[in-house]
Amino acid sequence: MSTQEQSVDLVDASTALALARVALFAALAGAFAFVSFEYPLSPAPVTLQVLAVFLAGLFLGPVWGAVSMGVYLVAGAVGLPVFANATAGVGVLFGPTGGYLLSYPLAAGVIGYVAHGGPEVRSLDEVGVPRLVAALVAGVVVIYTLGAAGLMAFGGLGLEAAVVGGAVVFLPAEAVKLAAAVGIARSDDVAMDA
Amino acid sequence: MYVPGSTPAHRLDPRAKLAVQVAFALAAFAHTTPRGLVVATGVVAACLWAARTPPWEALDELRLLVPFLLAGPLVETVVLGPPWLAPEQAVAPALASYRTLLVVLVAAAYVRTTPTRESQAALQWFVPGKPGRALGLCVGLVARYLTVLRADLRRTRTAMRARLGDQLPVRERMRIVAVTGLGRVFDRSDRLALAMRARCLSWNPTLPRLRLGRADAVALALATALLAWAVAPLVASTGPLVWPLA
Repeated sequence: MSTQEQSVDLVDASTALALARVALFAALAGAFAFVSFEYPLSPAPVTLQVLAVFLAGLFLGPVWGAVSMGVYLVAGAVGLPVFANATAGVGVLFGPTGGYLLSYPLAAGVIGYVAHGGPEVRSLDEVGVPRLVAALVAGVVVIYTLGAAGLMAFGGLGLEAAVVGGAVVFLPAEAVKLAAAVGIARSDDVAMDA
Repeated sequence: MYVPGSTPAHRLDPRAKLAVQVAFALAAFAHTTPRGLVVATGVVAACLWAARTPPWEALDELRLLVPFLLAGPLVETVVLGPPWLAPEQAVAPALASYRTLLVVLVAAAYVRTTPTRESQAALQWFVPGKPGRALGLCVGLVARYLTVLRADLRRTRTAMRARLGDQLPVRERMRIVAVTGLGRVFDRSDRLALAMRARCLSWNPTLPRLRLGRADAVALALATALLAWAVAPLVASTGPLVWPLA
């Protein structure tokens, strides 16, 4: 029987809070994947996954927002049912819808960077509506560009079919989520201590 | 979802299983030809046999992917103009769809036979140091809080319906659900951070021990063979001097 001695290296308070938020936002993305709304202008029921990407970028900032979405993907890859319809596994990431999923960390980073004007997190009250909208539109562009690329690479679709069937038809529903995200960021309903 | 059991796949080390999974995905992408996919189908059959999982049970959990798999070949068959149908264009998307199906089946075998705790230990082994510890911790917390947050959201939607909230515009309904979810996230993460520090959250906890056995050697040999098969076309096309850079 061998024994081992080592001193405990504690995690400091701010990092512990950041890690807790990263994990909870990743779990929220997983929970949002289950919430679907019927929307007349969309060919498939709309889930709130992308809204979680928007909120992670806005509320956690570019760095922790991107980390949070990365944790979401890793959690799904190792088998937690966090993707749409309770799916999981590396197969989903390299499946036809893998491009959308793989774009989430980058999209959250872009949204956070544009909204906060740099890597530092500011209070959302100081961010104007035009800047918020610009940040979210940039995020949507990243998600659907990589999503369509994923449909071509993993699903074998041609450029036209991927862009029309994989991006254009979903844009009206994304506009609704974008409006909801701006409403959340501008409202006093969510209070967050720095 | 994980299903407890004692099949050969359950007894394998999670690292060996992850290696097979990744090597298989690479090999399937490198050999998306009828002959390559026949070989890959044999590997999938072996994986499912090791996990004692009938393919229809594995597929049952992945119903959502089926429309996407069918859409590729169908969309490409239709052309705008006479003769309207071009079945020969559907061959490449059909092969891609079948390849995806195979990759998904191997992943499903992994998911069914590996508890999250083992995946977490494997993650911390793959990514050493503080990033690995943080990643393992966060994935564990996602597993813990996923059902909690899902129940929070379900309660919100039930309460909203009871107050005729389902007649509100979609944007407003999304906003209400998301605001509630966010509120719970901040609330729970503040309490969680305090609770973790109270329990001496550290960068160097004692990990569950991972051990490679004889069966794992077989799995690792399979992974190596798949990896070699995956890079073989690269070596053949670019020559042996260039391929380590690829």
